Amino acid sequence: MRVLTVDDSRTILAMLHHTLTNAGFEVLQAENGQVGLDVLGREDVDVVITDINMPVMDGIEFIKQVRSTGKHQSLPILILTTETSQDKRDQGRAAGGTGWIVKPFDPEKLISVINKVVH
Amino acid sequence: MSDLDEFKATYFDECSELLLELEEQFSAIQEGDRSPDRLNAVFRAIHSIKGGGGAFGFDALVRFAHSFETLLDYVRDGRVELGEDVVVLCIRSVDIVADFVAAARNGETLAADYGAVEKAQFDALSRGDAVELAQPEDGEEAMDEFDIDFTPVVVNLDAAPSTVQAAGGATVWTIRFTPFATLYERANDPLLLFRELGLLGTMTVTPELAKMPLLADFDPFGVYCSWTIELVSDRASEEAIREVFEFVDGDCAISIERSEAAPLAMDEEMPSFAALAEEAKAERKFVPTGEPDDLMAELEPAFAAPAVRAQEAAPVAPSSTTSEAAEETAGRPIGMSSIRVDLDKVDRVVNMVGELVITQSMLTQQMDDAIRDRYQELVRGIEVLAQTTRGLQDAVMAIRAQPVKSVFSRMPRLVRELAAKTGKKIKLDTIGEATEIDKTVIEQLSDPLTHMVRNSADHGIESPEKRLAAGKPEMGTIRLSAEQAGGNILIVVEDDGAGINRDRVLQIARERGVVGPDQQLTDEQIDNLIFAPGFSTASEVSDISGRGVGMDVVLSNIKKIGGSVHVRSWTGKGTRMTLRLPLTLAVLDVMLVKVAGSPYVIPLSSIVETIQNARADFGHMPSGGKVLQVRGDYVQVVDLAQRFGLASTQSEDSRFVVLCEAEGNSKIALVVDDIIGQQQVVIKSLEENFERIDGIAGGTILGDGNVALIVDVQSLKSTNAHQNAA
Repeated sequence: MRVLTVDDSRTILAMLHHTLTNAGFEVLQAENGQVGLDVLGREDVDVVITDINMPVMDGIEFIKQVRSTGKHQSLPILILTTETSQDKRDQGRAAGGTGWIVKPFDPEKLISVINKVVH
Repeated sequence: MSDLDEFKATYFDECSELLLELEEQFSAIQEGDRSPDRLNAVFRAIHSIKGGGGAFGFDALVRFAHSFETLLDYVRDGRVELGEDVVVLCIRSVDIVADFVAAARNGETLAADYGAVEKAQFDALSRGDAVELAQPEDGEEAMDEFDIDFTPVVVNLDAAPSTVQAAGGATVWTIRFTPFATLYERANDPLLLFRELGLLGTMTVTPELAKMPLLADFDPFGVYCSWTIELVSDRASEEAIREVFEFVDGDCAISIERSEAAPLAMDEEMPSFAALAEEAKAERKFVPTGEPDDLMAELEPAFAAPAVRAQEAAPVAPSSTTSEAAEETAGRPIGMSSIRVDLDKVDRVVNMVGELVITQSMLTQQMDDAIRDRYQELVRGIEVLAQTTRGLQDAVMAIRAQPVKSVFSRMPRLVRELAAKTGKKIKLDTIGEATEIDKTVIEQLSDPLTHMVRNSADHGIESPEKRLAAGKPEMGTIRLSAEQAGGNILIVVEDDGAGINRDRVLQIARERGVVGPDQQLTDEQIDNLIFAPGFSTASEVSDISGRGVGMDVVLSNIKKIGGSVHVRSWTGKGTRMTLRLPLTLAVLDVMLVKVAGSPYVIPLSSIVETIQNARADFGHMPSGGKVLQVRGDYVQVVDLAQRFGLASTQSEDSRFVVLCEAEGNSKIALVVDDIIGQQQVVIKSLEENFERIDGIAGGTILGDGNVALIVDVQSLKSTNAHQNAA
């Protein structure tokens, strides 16, 4: 199973990478939405995990763009949020986000959330 | 290094960059640029620092950053105006965040009320128009939210559900589930929800197919199906069931009912899922098996239509566009593709490449005209080898190269603090921060640069009153720049202050006997006196630069890494100090000399000039020691052969004097038998491979395989001074 993680924080990318690879996932990384789109343009992934606040292209726009390509209408997209950013989560959902992961995340729970949205 | 330590290291690296980013953005904001890009960038930076800090449980940092972030968010969407005072508060707070990060990095705890004033101000500003704010966050609440033991809300399999019957009993839940189109649009899938539910107990899923149209009317994007699920579980609670549907809240209609009695006796063996599926197959009744493919096959076309058919039926971008896009992005790395490498490994490669470069240049040197004529193919090969080697060297050096930004980034805060302490107004301009230098050089650069900037702020820039009186703008400017010049990096610290007070410098120098009473000095010589050991021009010792550390320490630190410092000053207009640094420390430019038949090398950076013995103006001190007279100065002479206990075979007149500069501008004259030429060498530590030898800084292997020792000019100078003093 391949996961694309999109976040401008190297720390979060590193922690996601570690957790996901340990769980046997293959991980692709992107540092913002634009790069994420580029990756999706040439790679097949099973699930996307994206941050909201990012330079160049933020998570909301990224999700909208992903959903606008027919190829990715059924691609599960999980939004990384903090507990306080309910409105951001709602915006992400409105844009087409499938679910969310609350930061800071616990490895086991991260995997269980992924399993909740991926076949 | 544990995983956590590694993440922390990444986090702190990232924090340094983010703090630098904040520094830059706020300085532009201070200049009047309030564009959304800047505001977004500062918000993101604080947000990322907070996010990572939360992951590692740096509570104090997170609390402060949270208040900061909240304010920035309000500024960003216009709820709080970004006035001058707010900018000042923000800049000060960036420093506080930096302190929190530093404390977290060093495992220290700051005073409990550290940053409390600023935090209170943030909170007050954020509350400013509390009436309009959707949910003004209370400080205490915010803290709770960021406690590290905070638990994300996800399905808890071990939850003790409130509705569970007494031990041994199971509850039957009836769940009616009707998805809306939006559920599919967000890539949620009923199948996955059923799978999740299945983890809570045993269930039977019955589709409601009444609304299913005839095949002719079937719209692949239509939503026709709903389900009734019977879940038998001894551990499910309504809460746990609702959590399964957490992500589709609003995208479906759902009802959850608890039946009064369990339909199956719990001591009776439950049929397995597979068995249920078999049974269902036989009866054409749907039961999910958890095997999506089977399920699809089973239910095609009716059930799976909305979720899966949509995917296939969706318009696909024309292939030409897709391939163009692919071409555009081809060759670009996937996201941030990088690896962490042990620095020792890189050092080994650097070292070997250095050897390769030297061997290659030796080969080139040894090719005389006769060889060139006879072996043209060989010559061409060696030329190609030279190019490749050069390319390899650049590539390897680039691995260790870092932008000077990492050092420059510490300076704005320093200048701010100095300005605040001295009551001066100072602006710092930085240019060429992207210029890259070898990591080892960068590490050695921080202290000297800090000292130079401090010197400019403390001694260079005048008080606002003095500046106005002199017809200058009230705000002084310190400019910090870096550029690459050939194999060197030039770092310039320049200020528009008063310049060096030469009368005062000269007076102090005469008082301390650094300069003789009648000795006349040029302006440049006077300027250079600031590098004399223990020399300070501050009339009063301030707590800023009067730490008993003078510019002489700057000079010696820079010399240690093979660099030089040059100072130039214009009275009333300012001072410019130029650091010239080598790009790397791995390869050293040296002069190869011969002493008693053996090769020695002297670092080129310390050599001032070379003189033939026959032309040198030697004199003798009363003690019998030999001195060399160079333009009015008397310089101590050290005969290297004698010093190393060897016998020179050369006649005295055919030998050479190599005039070297040691720390603090002091000179020493080394007598050698012969000068062979200049070249590059790779430094080898003697201490690691053999043992420390007085007067020798290390060794190197020459192109012909011979070992040459590197003369340690500094230690020769100090032992010599010591001997003279004794």
